[in-house]
Amino acid sequence: MTSAPSVERPDAIPASAPSRSRVVTVADDAARQRLIDAYPEAALVSATLPLRANLDVLENIAVVPRFRRNLDAETALQLAWYLLDAAGHAGCAHVRDPDLTHEQRFVAKLLRAVIGDPPLILIDRPAMMLPDSPYPVVVQSVLARLESRLTQCWIVDYAWNAPLYPHPESRTSD
Amino acid sequence: MDARFNRTLRFAADACIGVLSPSTYNSATREVVLRQIYFTAWQVLPGFAAFAAVASFLIIQIVGNTARNFGLYEYALELVVRLLVLEILPLTTALFVALRTGAAINTEVALMAIHRELTALRQLGIDPLKLELIPRVIGGTVSVMALTSVSVVIALALAHVQVVDFQPWNVAGGEFGLVIGRVLGPVELATLFVKTLAFGIAVTTIPIAAGLGAGRELFRAPVAVMQGMVRTFFALMLIECVAVAVLYA
Repeated sequence: MTSAPSVERPDAIPASAPSRSRVVTVADDAARQRLIDAYPEAALVSATLPLRANLDVLENIAVVPRFRRNLDAETALQLAWYLLDAAGHAGCAHVRDPDLTHEQRFVAKLLRAVIGDPPLILIDRPAMMLPDSPYPVVVQSVLARLESRLTQCWIVDYAWNAPLYPHPESRTSD
Repeated sequence: MDARFNRTLRFAADACIGVLSPSTYNSATREVVLRQIYFTAWQVLPGFAAFAAVASFLIIQIVGNTARNFGLYEYALELVVRLLVLEILPLTTALFVALRTGAAINTEVALMAIHRELTALRQLGIDPLKLELIPRVIGGTVSVMALTSVSVVIALALAHVQVVDFQPWNVAGGEFGLVIGRVLGPVELATLFVKTLAFGIAVTTIPIAAGLGAGRELFRAPVAVMQGMVRTFFALMLIECVAVAVLYA
């Protein structure tokens, strides 16, 4: 009998869940869609909303303030760089979508939402974006790094995945 | 009326309104316009200029020789200017941009629609019409007009060299300007300008509208590109026929 290869966890489990984030569990897909529809002002981070394929990560993040606030390219790119660095993924700044790892792609999508300063960010079914890692840990550690830039962030996941999250106090049911 | 034709017209109308709206222009859209002009006009300029020179040289030779055979060489210059400047070069330029840039835009927009990249932008509060589509219309149209201007200047310079400089006994140097002025009067220049503008709008709006109609399935992308290019071809021919009718009817 062979033992399973040990899997290195990508980041340390945060001592506590980021205070501005919480996990919202939903019973099924219809409930999930209802929840998302109830917050049209929220920025959605989802597997079904891809990055722009012909832009690298930095440009994908910077395009939001450039378009919405007419920020000049240099300032917007600096802001994007600062966020990417804060999230611990500055190394993928000039990589385009097809060459990104799942985690890098997730971070790029999250930062694209964060840079717009929305009142609420909904991370929709993170398991679909991070299929190759212990995703609750990855998501909460990235959120912990970005704590100062978040207003509110909800991780929307199915109820049967709730035990996977390391901080039960951060869970609520819809 | 056909739904696809309606979609193209609606997009063309939206694009025209967007072009005139100051809110379209921001740091991000300006960059997309500049990139479009770079890829459509600047990147291909040496090759396109060489093509325009060779094609103009050949046509000037053919028209000149034919005119000489019929004893009408004094009309060769006027024939050359009418044929090249007013008809062949603008149409060839539009076809060149349609084949190169129109096909690329059509494919890119179809893939953006299929992969929901446009939906993703909308969700982030970015209007994809203003960020991704209208800048391509502006950049493509400016490029068609710029490349047409370059090819016309090359053709006129070659016409001067081939018809006047090498055979000065047929057309005196001073007459060159007079012939150009007679052929390219205000009506002809206005028609040329409007025709080139229409070519530019057609080679960008029709492929974009076709790309937007690709739906969600990947297998529809080649069909959308094929339909877009065929419609672009017929639109260019229609514009050319209308322009010819305005000038010569």
